[in-house]
Amino acid sequence: MPPPDSPAARPAPSLRQRLLLAILLPMAAVFAVSVFFDYRLAKETADAAFDQSLTDDALDIASHIRNSENLPLLELSAEVETMLRNDAPDKVYFAVRDSAGQLLAGDADLPDFPVAAHKQAEFKDSAFRGEPTRVVFYKIRSPHGDLTITVAETIVKRNGASRTILTAMILPTLAVILATFMAVYFGVRKGLRPLENVEKEIATRSPRDLREIAIDATPREIRPMLARLNELFDLLRLASAAQQRFLTDAAHQLRTPLAGLQTQIELATAEGRFQSDPERLSRIEDATERISHLVDQLLTYARAESSTAATQIFEPVSLAVLAEKAASIFLDRALGKNIDLGFEIAPATVDGSPWMLREALANIIDNALRYTPAHGVVTVRSGMRGAAAILEVEDNGAGIPADERERVFERFYRRPGSPSGGCGLGLAIVREIAALHGASVELADPQGTTGLRIALVFPRAGAPAHTDPHRGIDSPAMEKP
Amino acid sequence: MRILVVEDDNLVASGIKQGLSQAGYTVDVADSAEAAEDSLRNEAFDLAVVDIGLPRADGLTLIRRLREQDNPLPILVLTARGSMEDTISGLDVGADDYMTKPFRLPELSARIRALIRRSHAIADTCLHHNGLTLDTNSRTATLGGAPLELTKREWAILEALLMASPNVVSKDRLVQTLAGWDKDITLNAIEVYVSRLRAKLAEGYIEIRTVRGIGYRIDAPA
Repeated sequence: MPPPDSPAARPAPSLRQRLLLAILLPMAAVFAVSVFFDYRLAKETADAAFDQSLTDDALDIASHIRNSENLPLLELSAEVETMLRNDAPDKVYFAVRDSAGQLLAGDADLPDFPVAAHKQAEFKDSAFRGEPTRVVFYKIRSPHGDLTITVAETIVKRNGASRTILTAMILPTLAVILATFMAVYFGVRKGLRPLENVEKEIATRSPRDLREIAIDATPREIRPMLARLNELFDLLRLASAAQQRFLTDAAHQLRTPLAGLQTQIELATAEGRFQSDPERLSRIEDATERISHLVDQLLTYARAESSTAATQIFEPVSLAVLAEKAASIFLDRALGKNIDLGFEIAPATVDGSPWMLREALANIIDNALRYTPAHGVVTVRSGMRGAAAILEVEDNGAGIPADERERVFERFYRRPGSPSGGCGLGLAIVREIAALHGASVELADPQGTTGLRIALVFPRAGAPAHTDPHRGIDSPAMEKP
Repeated sequence: MRILVVEDDNLVASGIKQGLSQAGYTVDVADSAEAAEDSLRNEAFDLAVVDIGLPRADGLTLIRRLREQDNPLPILVLTARGSMEDTISGLDVGADDYMTKPFRLPELSARIRALIRRSHAIADTCLHHNGLTLDTNSRTATLGGAPLELTKREWAILEALLMASPNVVSKDRLVQTLAGWDKDITLNAIEVYVSRLRAKLAEGYIEIRTVRGIGYRIDAPA
């Protein structure tokens, strides 16, 4: 049994690697074997032809043997012998021997070989005078007994023929191998492209995007896997919807008694019940307001947080309209604190959830109004910075020291000396919503003044196409006939 | 003025009833959609405050049914869910405004006043605001009882601001309002008309507030 932490962790080879290996390795082996056998066949054919011509030489010599009275004679004119011996670039040697091995004609140092059958050429490869040669032995009958004709030829032509055959076979085979390799390589790549497309689609979707993957256009082989994946998405969507339902129920349960409490306090005040102790009244009112605010913020945070937001489908949202709508919502609070609340609005559109972006902006403006002293200036801006869409709020309050700028995003973190009323969730909500939209939250010093500039930067924003002021955000009381 | 409050939570219902009664309204309470429909069939109301989370048929269903019967009653929705989907669907089925619980009584009365004012403006074609009256039928305006002379453009701007109050109206929207008969109107021209309006309204009843970078607003009536 292997140890539990042994090389199991090594990643499995990719499908493409497996396919390429599984196809190309056997193919290479098949090519090698086929080349080997083809070469052998071609060489045997060529050798047979050369052997035949060697045998012809032996027969030629045999035809020149004359039988005199007591011994056979080779009658070879010098001319014919020269022609026989020189078969450029090869050299030919020969010997004629009788049955006792006695040399009758030719080269005496040519080796002898006992041949069994008559008129049956026998071949041998052997070295002669320092050169490799092919030798044929041929036995004929004569009135004076058996004669053995031996002819040897160097193998220059044969080697040349071998090389020619080899070259003629290897080059086209190499071309076929290369073509096959390319066809297989690109074929595998093309065949696996649907997988890559699915992989890309899953990789580029946001972690909160739990929509089903479209299966219809995918290859049959991966459909079961995608179907399982979609079932998982379904389950997650259900779970997320259940959580959402729980949150809205919780909100209902908490808010209704709070509404009752708030109303009763206001009625008691109006009836003069707190005249003797106005400070206590303001404490009760303050506490009620803080509970309400906390409930609101908790629910917003929980809804914006990862999985619960999965059921939200993004749509184009105009940041300009968002900023403009905020004017009506926050103007009275700004006036109440003598803060100059102003706007610098340029068109910018992002894909997002309208209510979440509205909550994010509301939290940023709320913070600015809370932390900017009376007679301060708060400016809300929307627009493009290069390819990025920007939603930012600048105030001239005390600002946040650089070393605290990361901490203010923590849940329930409240800076020492903060005015009461906040619950420390505002910027956590802003960051959560920004993350959900692939946006970053920048905290910076405003130019030439104290205070804080907090910006939502949406890097992948589209062109500011949607400048229609009627879409994007809900407009409750406005523009109803 | 008679208001029907449709709310199943006793604490909230009685609070609203007392508060609105003190503000001078006559208030009836229904604790379900069915009871509300009964009341509306038999008696006349100027406005309904409807909680979305009612037992059995919810507030949205009630509103949808009323609108299907062509009942023009102004409706203010109360929602405890605080989710935009709820409020949007509330407005979609025909509610006129919404408030999220918990709310402040003064704001509730202000919204109710605005809704009733608007519904009456449609009925009797008059807009009233702190001593200013715009009769959209006869195109006459009075300020503190005295006739107020307004040009066509001044009238259009003032009407748009009064209709939207207490919301902010952007200059772009005012340009669109005037563009019907004034094709080449500019943002600067809007500023000129507003400053003339301010001079005419200087008697002290109405203030047109500038909202930096956007446009103008007339504050809610005191």
